[in-house]
Amino acid sequence: MRRKRRRGGEEAEINITPMLDIVFIMLIFFIVTTSFVKEIALDLNRPSTEPLEEKRIAEVITIRIAANGQIEVGDRPVDIRAVRANVEGELATQGFDTPVVVIADRAADSGLMVRVIDQARMAGAENVSLAAMSR
Amino acid sequence: MARRHAERQEETEVNITPMLDIVFIMLIFFIVTTSFIRETGIDPQRPEALTATKQERGNILIGVSASGQIWMDKRAVELGAVRQMVEQARNESPESTVVIIADERASSGIVMDLMDQVRLAGVLNISVAAQPVAGEG
Repeated sequence: MRRKRRRGGEEAEINITPMLDIVFIMLIFFIVTTSFVKEIALDLNRPSTEPLEEKRIAEVITIRIAANGQIEVGDRPVDIRAVRANVEGELATQGFDTPVVVIADRAADSGLMVRVIDQARMAGAENVSLAAMSR
Repeated sequence: MARRHAERQEETEVNITPMLDIVFIMLIFFIVTTSFIRETGIDPQRPEALTATKQERGNILIGVSASGQIWMDKRAVELGAVRQMVEQARNESPESTVVIIADERASSGIVMDLMDQVRLAGVLNISVAAQPVAGEG
């Protein structure tokens, strides 16, 4: 037994060098291609193209953004920095689960839209959705 | 010389088994964590937002430049082609979600059109990229 093993020692071993080569190449490939960068983003809830048919305007808090950047909460024109306070006030009067609908003009900046949605979220609105301005 | 070599054969060999274990574990780790994100090809100025969260599954990226041009997979594409490209990406990794990286000066109409196209392609989880507010972490 001992003698046999010593004689055929090199033949009996499985040559794992090619496998190792492949494993290393795969390892290097995955290390190089992996990117751990994740986008930081706001989840947007956009029900459909005609969201206001089901929910009547009176039952939701509407925030309108005009093409020139003018923001209206309800019917009051407000500054971007006052959106949060205004939405907080509306939520307090209409109930904290009232949905908020952001109606942005197509020509308004998307950055302003994102900022308004962010402000509404910070005011505590859980259901913020986005609607297109009907033309 | 020949005898000595045969005698000391097992001692002189470096034991590579622990290295192999580590290499395999690393390989499995990278295979599992890899998600092939297709870069959009542009780097727009993202709007600042405080309530933005990290999108762990946001693999399908759509860029919108300040002038309203749509970029996917390092190419400028038409709005009509977005739906097909999203469907294709969705076929490759079904649980991925869409992140729209819109420049803050891009018009919101284009973002909304894009969201409609993505929704038509069957992806319901859509988010808009933002950056953390400077100075507040």
